[in-house]
Amino acid sequence: MLQGLLSMLKRLRSSPDKELRILLLGLDNAGKTTLMKKLASEDVSHITPTQGFNIKSVQADGMKLNVWDIGGQRKIRPYWRNYFEFTDILIYVVDSADRKRVDETGFELNELLNDDKLAGVPVLVYANKQDLALAAKASEIAQELNLHLIRDRPWQIQACSGIRGEGIKEGLEWISQNVKKK
Amino acid sequence: MWLYLIRNYIYWYLRKVIKWFLRQTTKLCELQRICYAQPVGARRTLNVERSLRDSNRPQIRGLLTVLDARASDRSFYLGRSIQIPNAVSTITRVKRIDPCEYERFNNALGQCVNNIWSYMQLVEEIKTSAAIPYDCTNDVHEKSLLLLWDELMPNDRLENRVTKQWQDIGFQGDDPKTDFRGMGTLGLDNLVYFASKYTHLARCALSHSMHPIHGYAFAIVGINLTSMALGLVVDGSAKTHFYNKRNAPEYEDFNEFYCYLFWKFDKFWLDAKPKDLMEFAIHRKQFETIIRQELEKSDTVFLIDVPNDNTTDVLNR
Repeated sequence: MLQGLLSMLKRLRSSPDKELRILLLGLDNAGKTTLMKKLASEDVSHITPTQGFNIKSVQADGMKLNVWDIGGQRKIRPYWRNYFEFTDILIYVVDSADRKRVDETGFELNELLNDDKLAGVPVLVYANKQDLALAAKASEIAQELNLHLIRDRPWQIQACSGIRGEGIKEGLEWISQNVKKK
Repeated sequence: MWLYLIRNYIYWYLRKVIKWFLRQTTKLCELQRICYAQPVGARRTLNVERSLRDSNRPQIRGLLTVLDARASDRSFYLGRSIQIPNAVSTITRVKRIDPCEYERFNNALGQCVNNIWSYMQLVEEIKTSAAIPYDCTNDVHEKSLLLLWDELMPNDRLENRVTKQWQDIGFQGDDPKTDFRGMGTLGLDNLVYFASKYTHLARCALSHSMHPIHGYAFAIVGINLTSMALGLVVDGSAKTHFYNKRNAPEYEDFNEFYCYLFWKFDKFWLDAKPKDLMEFAIHRKQFETIIRQELEKSDTVFLIDVPNDNTTDVLNR
């Protein structure tokens, strides 16, 4: 009886939502802040470029997500490393309509994947801005970023439109599944 | 909930009794008491606004609806010469003001009406401007952007329309257009106004922004300040400043308000000596708190009170 009670208490203690530290990275103008605000169900009509970073705690899918949204401009990228520690999930956001900077975004992602501090951290790539006519498909982005070469961690690509709020939930579901597996 | 309703009812009832009592003893209506007791400026205008908004008279309510509609379809500025006298005469009629008081009262009231609805129209104008996306095929936008470069970097020629050089003045990438996504042409107008009217101050700020440790991204911070300025005006906090200025607020006054914020923020950032630009969010928040505290004081009016080489008449305005 006592044991039953104890295990019940234990379950109660562990079930309050898993707390996850999520790092949101990507080039400038990829749509990181918009995605974060959308996660928190906030207005996304007046997003200004992020100087520095924003943090938000969001409840989603039975998880408590502490989302760190770091500015993407070149000047700030050297600071990305300061935020790597204790990261549970890396979300990498790509502007699918920005064909000119495919190489640049691929390069930055590679740098992240090769960093020791982020070793083994599952990565979710959002192929954002699918609402734009010029947007590349998620499968094309996956190929251009060579995602199929990733062997050392779970990864996923998800098409989405931050502005319209489409596809974001599917990404979160993948996160919740991959965290449980850990 | 109930407490709230009861409190509101008591407030409404007490207000009626007090107003009646004062009307009997002073022979003046509330609007007159406000206009006579308080000097020109924010306190008077804010009280007149509150008094008009609280009024239950159908004629006054009707008048407010019309004026609100004019402000929101942005036809108040143009029609001021008719709308203000009409509004004033409606109010004096409804409130049965003694004709001997007309001259003294009407001027004061007209000025308040002008300020209140010009401000409301300003809110609409800046919201509209912020919603217009930067458009590369629009000559006006493009010329404006190039002017920004020329004003800030007179000694460096822009090699190309799309170039890394834009990062020197604090844009994120090779083409500034994407950085204007949230604040639209309002963000551009603000930056260009600052750089061309207060060229000296803008260039000083730009040079501060290039400091290797305590620097910041000039244009991006500028666009974030547009967002702050817009927020302060839209939620009404900035009314004190605009009502305290002599003229009824127009688009240019918003630009001036913005320049003040930029100039102040630059000083604030330098004094704070941040570790790096990743501390921006914290300092931005602190800065906004300070500005909001200033705006809570009823006599606040923001003026750039240092000489700017570019124009000598700044101080005489």
